[in-house]
Amino acid sequence: MSEKNVQRLPAEALYQRELDALIAAEQDPVPTGWRMSPRSALTYLIGGASVKGVEITPKYIGSRRLVEIAIATLVTDRALLLIGEPGTAKSWLSEHLAAAVNGDSTKVVQGTAGTTEEQIRYSWNYAMLIAKGPSPEAMVKSPVYRAMETGSIARIEEISRCASEVQDALISILSEKRLSVPELGMEVPAAKGFSVIATANTRDKGVNDMSAALKRRFNIVVLPTPSDLETELEIVRTRVEQLSAGLDLNASLPDSGTVEQVVTIFRELRGGSTLDGKQKLKTTSGVLSTAEAISLLANSMALAGSFGSGVISAADLAAGLQGAVVKDEESDKISWKEYLENVMKKRGSGWLPLYQACRELNG
Amino acid sequence: MMGRPVLYGVRHLSPAMAFHLRQALDAHRPALVLVEGPSDLNDQMHWLCHPETRFPAAILAYTKAPPVRTILYPLAVYSPELQAILWAHEHGVECRFMDLPSGTMLALEEGSEPLEDEEEPEENTEWVYRRLEEVTGEGHDTFWERKFEQIGDWQTCRKAANTFGAQLRAAAQDGKRRTAQTLVREAYMKRVIGQAVDQGTPPEKIFCVCGAFHVPGLQENTPMTDEEEAALPQADCAATLMPYSYYRLSSRSGYGAGNKAPAYFELLWDALHREGLSGLPSRYLAHLAEAHRKAGNLVSSAEVIEGVRLAQTLCAMRGSRYPCLADLRDAAVTTMGHGNFSELAAAVAATEIGSGIGALPEGVSRTSVQEDFYRQLKELRLEKYRGLERQQLDLDLRERLHVKDQQTALLDLRRSFFLHRLRVLGIHFAAPLPSRQEGANWGEYWDLRWTPEVEIEVVESSLLGDTIEGAAAFALKERGEASTSIGEAAGIFQDAFLCGMPAAARHALSVLQALSVDAAALTEVAETAGRLSLVVRYGDLRRFDAAPVVPLLQQLFLRACLTLEEACQCDAKAAPGVTAAMDHLDRLQLSHDCLEGERWLELLSCVSDRDDLNTLCSGFAMAILLERGAVEEALLAREVARRLSPGVPADLGAGWFEGLAGKNRYALIARLSLWRHLDDYLSALDDGQFRRALVFLRRAFAGFGPSEKNDIAENLGEIWGVNQNQAAEVLMGALTQTEQEALKDLDDFDFDDI
Repeated sequence: MSEKNVQRLPAEALYQRELDALIAAEQDPVPTGWRMSPRSALTYLIGGASVKGVEITPKYIGSRRLVEIAIATLVTDRALLLIGEPGTAKSWLSEHLAAAVNGDSTKVVQGTAGTTEEQIRYSWNYAMLIAKGPSPEAMVKSPVYRAMETGSIARIEEISRCASEVQDALISILSEKRLSVPELGMEVPAAKGFSVIATANTRDKGVNDMSAALKRRFNIVVLPTPSDLETELEIVRTRVEQLSAGLDLNASLPDSGTVEQVVTIFRELRGGSTLDGKQKLKTTSGVLSTAEAISLLANSMALAGSFGSGVISAADLAAGLQGAVVKDEESDKISWKEYLENVMKKRGSGWLPLYQACRELNG
Repeated sequence: MMGRPVLYGVRHLSPAMAFHLRQALDAHRPALVLVEGPSDLNDQMHWLCHPETRFPAAILAYTKAPPVRTILYPLAVYSPELQAILWAHEHGVECRFMDLPSGTMLALEEGSEPLEDEEEPEENTEWVYRRLEEVTGEGHDTFWERKFEQIGDWQTCRKAANTFGAQLRAAAQDGKRRTAQTLVREAYMKRVIGQAVDQGTPPEKIFCVCGAFHVPGLQENTPMTDEEEAALPQADCAATLMPYSYYRLSSRSGYGAGNKAPAYFELLWDALHREGLSGLPSRYLAHLAEAHRKAGNLVSSAEVIEGVRLAQTLCAMRGSRYPCLADLRDAAVTTMGHGNFSELAAAVAATEIGSGIGALPEGVSRTSVQEDFYRQLKELRLEKYRGLERQQLDLDLRERLHVKDQQTALLDLRRSFFLHRLRVLGIHFAAPLPSRQEGANWGEYWDLRWTPEVEIEVVESSLLGDTIEGAAAFALKERGEASTSIGEAAGIFQDAFLCGMPAAARHALSVLQALSVDAAALTEVAETAGRLSLVVRYGDLRRFDAAPVVPLLQQLFLRACLTLEEACQCDAKAAPGVTAAMDHLDRLQLSHDCLEGERWLELLSCVSDRDDLNTLCSGFAMAILLERGAVEEALLAREVARRLSPGVPADLGAGWFEGLAGKNRYALIARLSLWRHLDDYLSALDDGQFRRALVFLRRAFAGFGPSEKNDIAENLGEIWGVNQNQAAEVLMGALTQTEQEALKDLDDFDFDDI
């Protein structure tokens, strides 16, 4: 399958040029099992430098210090846990960290209510197991197993959605750094460089709370929502650009005014007050994350490209906003209408088309 | 060839600078150490070197005339200046301050209002620090720590500091005023150095410790001439040493005045003297873990170890050799705080700021008020309250009978006097808490907390007198002379009483007396009399002779009696105030035999009788009389009939009843005849009048409790010949729909036509 037809390339393929340039220009010592030094990994993630003629784009826009702590954690072979609201780039950061350190971000376990212990450890090819008995060949290795063998990073997404016995399976792996296979009478020691990056969602708190024992084995980094409008605007703009390049949306990029409007609406409804702090607002049940703002704009571009003029119109945007803001709850609809009348309507001519389009959808 | 004096540039409050400075001193073996500091305060140095002195401490210079202006030179154990002084003391080397005298500094500060046409240039030192932060992406404290605190030897350290100082000086273009002050100070310092050379100390044997910023100035500028020195302004001032606190050091940002993490810097200082900076991470994180555990949280040693490792990796990414505070704190938040700073905030404050306060040996040159303050703290056994933690002190003012001597028996009373005197002086060492036990006048509750501000406030009060008591007396006297109303004067009198200062109380009393000649409102007179009454009643408890107060109390009471009738001619809005004053006066009269009871009762009957006064007041007067048992049944019956007769406007009648119900309801309820009259009166009213009366009566009965209403029900039941329970049901039951509507209509009742 040619790479062109893949819907979404893994980070290491998408940014191969940048990674290669950084590796080629390496000057600092590289930890065992890593492909580049911690400092180069930091450059890869926060961008803003030009290495060997290749512009390094920022992958994570926000606190540089948090990225430093995350990388430093992996250097000390501790496991890293990224916690945050939905849409604060936890998985995104985890993917790029793995891409920078190993050039492989694909050893992923997706945590769900149905995740079993086997998916963390190993399972069997049962046909072969029955035919030949337990043997290394009959083993189906989990991403964590493979990471231990190769001394690389395994990613576990949404760890707090896994049942607690599944989480517990991780404890021995993280503290002993070895995995026993009693069926074959052997133990797999983790090679140097093995580590785990897990992500957890603060909205999932209480679903399957992580035990203190497991938490203690992680260094925890809390990812905040973007601190100010400018940062969030930059994140949305960059990501929309990257997305639209990959998706052939046939529409021109949203202008800065449109992006600002969307981000402003999201920030205000998320924070429960207008940006100038003068007016209190009802919040909605949805998270209204930065990631949602990005997908909303991409979605509007798709609407404009497929059914409209190729330029995002107020109506395209309004349809997206409606879906993002008004989740299935009745109260969201009220909050949204109030926002339209009390805030948006009074914002002047720049906001008028959007207001009217939203108004039409809400009758 | 003549050598040159050693100019050793430092940064104030920098542990590494202090550490290396001592090594530099060891290497140079100077014959004279000159330290940047007010040159008139050399006599404070030996106290700094006293073995009982604990740091942080500060040299405080203050003007002797009000308004008091102060300058502070805080010194922590890791201050390079202090270490230079201590080194000199330990090695028997002469040491002197070399900066402008404190009086000149104070005078310069005062006379240096920014010129009007002068604008602060954008490129001042703050601007340079801001730019540094933009370039490094870290706070300038962190920058300093990474680049300077981690230097390993004194030669490099000196070179680095001097370079930094020179470049900072080159980059910063301070305003004219600041530049001028800097130049004057440097010229003076250079003059002092020159004088030392003239006195025969070989130049190369002179070791000058000053801010790195001043080193280029001392190298290049010319010394101050005699004429220039004579022309320096001079403020009349004095100086003292005072204990300082780490909290205060941390809250004062800005170069030289403080640093954000004094307790952490002390850890750094300790580490330098033991295992070196490599031991700092474990020291810091272990302290932090302990503080966090103390607050009831679980921290495992494994987390501390991981924290140390993470901090080391973090600093390596920033290219520094040892982790600095920012690295350590971030590592701690990640490994111990589950990623949230808020979890660790309290422990971080304890570890980085700490609750350290300094202490000075006895006999240190203090102002006499300070001496007195500390002497009394000791004598009154309050020394343990001299801490940064808020502590509560409960006092029992009564004499303790089972102890040996008078002094101990009245310890709590004397404490109370002392704390009240501090309060009067505006020294925020103790704050009174509201009394907890209703009516227990012998209990007093205080919140005690010592801060360096307290020390400054104590020093400031030295302007008022030589002892706490003397200063308090002076403060009260001044306040007394400035007071313009009897309320104010009574407050001062009460303060003097609480402070246990009879002389001051007498003075306040004379002021009060003088003021009471002028007209004052009834309510104010009543309130003032109430305050005096408290003193007369409870004076014994505080060993206060209240006899001189009695005549004034009588005088005020008389005044109130004379103005009461007039005051009762008021509108409905003012009437509650008047009735409150009447109540006040009544209680006064009851508690003091010296007040004429006869006159009072006569006056009340007069108020009660008169028809032209506010009916609420008249009713209330009747209520008091009723309570005193001064009304005969027949008179009451006549009065009720008269006040509630059909001809009288309903609002006046009901208002009178409201006043009557304002006091001692049992006396009312017990009189069946009264309710019969009320019943008759109400039945005689026509619909319109009834509606008016209802408004007032509803208000009058709103204050009655359920049991009181029950008793009324009993009365009415008897009058109407119905079962008491039935009546109670009607009275207490919820309102029906129609009744509620009717009442709602009353809300719109138009009073304009009354």
